[in-house]
Amino acid sequence: MNIKNNLPLIFGISIPILMVIFVTASIYIPQMFVKPQYDFLYLIGNNNCYNEGRNSQVYAVVSNRLIKYTPDTIFQNCMIGQVPQLKIFVYSIAQNEGKEISFSDAQGLILDSSILSPDGFEIVNGGSNGGFFPFYFSSGSDYYTRYLQGHNISKKLNIQQGGNYYYNFTLLGWIKK
Amino acid sequence: MTSKEEVLRSISELAAQNSISKEEILSAFDGVVVSKETIQNKRLGIADILYYIGGAIVFFGIAIFVTQNWRILNAPTKVLATLGSSIAAYFVAIFFSTKEKTKNIGLAFHLIAALVMPIGLYITFYEAGFRMGGSEIQALISAILFAVYLLSFLVFKENIFLFFNIIFGTWLFFSFTSYIVGNNPIWNSNFYNYRLLVTGLTYTVLGYAFSKTKREPLTGILYGFGVLGFLGAALMLGGWKPHQKMIWELAFPGLVFAVLFLSVFLKSKSFLTIGTIYLMVYIIKITSEYFSGSLGWPLSLVIIGLLLIASGYLFVYIKNKYMPKNS
Repeated sequence: MNIKNNLPLIFGISIPILMVIFVTASIYIPQMFVKPQYDFLYLIGNNNCYNEGRNSQVYAVVSNRLIKYTPDTIFQNCMIGQVPQLKIFVYSIAQNEGKEISFSDAQGLILDSSILSPDGFEIVNGGSNGGFFPFYFSSGSDYYTRYLQGHNISKKLNIQQGGNYYYNFTLLGWIKK
Repeated sequence: MTSKEEVLRSISELAAQNSISKEEILSAFDGVVVSKETIQNKRLGIADILYYIGGAIVFFGIAIFVTQNWRILNAPTKVLATLGSSIAAYFVAIFFSTKEKTKNIGLAFHLIAALVMPIGLYITFYEAGFRMGGSEIQALISAILFAVYLLSFLVFKENIFLFFNIIFGTWLFFSFTSYIVGNNPIWNSNFYNYRLLVTGLTYTVLGYAFSKTKREPLTGILYGFGVLGFLGAALMLGGWKPHQKMIWELAFPGLVFAVLFLSVFLKSKSFLTIGTIYLMVYIIKITSEYFSGSLGWPLSLVIIGLLLIASGYLFVYIKNKYMPKNS
């Protein structure tokens, strides 16, 4: 094969291959150098309690501590009406997975309830790829996947939401060390 | 160096033997060597059109048959009706393509095979229990089709395989990049436009690479879709006020004029026509985006009209001065 004569052909074939390499590298290489540091506490389930015309949060972070914001009597009514099962989890960044903990254990943690973590990361929803027929690609249930984003990297979080509803997930706070 | 008289005498002799046609001489005159076979292949007669329409009707027939009887048919029958018939059509096409008289009928069967095979693979994977709809399954199916047609091209060296290879390769490129990125928020909806930009550029470069080879019949379609995709993506990347991307809005006229310049260099009417249309679209977009508020719509329309007349004149000027009459 004469490389000089086939230069346009080689160039043409290389363009999409180079883009695939570039996209893959832009996703995975920064992750090797930028490491998020802070674990976080989150809820799975609807954190809103609607009872007798009033809406309030079930759990909230006040003065860096997790509290049960809604009194138990009201909370019981909510439970019957709408909230299926509220579960509290600690997400370990190092292990990239969430682990369920009890409310009493969660109360012992010092939390930062800011949207941004102390090292500059936030939790965001997955975006859409866009496009139009016939080149539109959905990723099915992956649409509700959460990502940890910041410093030009984006890392997929393994959060089991128990249903594909965006309000099933609530960030309570970043765990201070 | 052969003298002019000798060349003309040779041409007369070849013409007397019916070994060379006027079209071949004219194509050589324009700097492109195109064989008699290629010119014959490029002509699309009524019979060829009927073959393709027939192929498309067969495809719709199979698709409607499976859709209407989806609940009645069992899994093996569905797979046999779609994937089975596409494989059969593929081999029938190869059989017909080996004989000169039935070569064009072979193309119609290739069309049936290429249209039905993706459906057949979809149904096969669906019946095998795969989760459909995601980009991963599309990447898998397009990769299989790409491999099949790449191997076919390497074995038979026919343009039709290269044509479907480009289509399935494009599908593979879009689905595979979607699979890699998923819903990663770093790559937002502009990712689609960047991929379209790359696809358009690739088509154009491939069109150029084929232009002086026996793959030349693919050049026109690659140039057309290439420029359409490339400039379309660049225009969409510019966005719309107040979410516009200034760098793309400023770069776009440069890209359009580069395409118009290349139309002269490549002697391509696709470049010239599509470039001019995009120039007109850009004029309308920019005027309505930035000047309709300050100048008002009536004056903006006057400016748009005058600039469109100038674009039209540019088109006619380039076409008459630089384009060969019979290209």
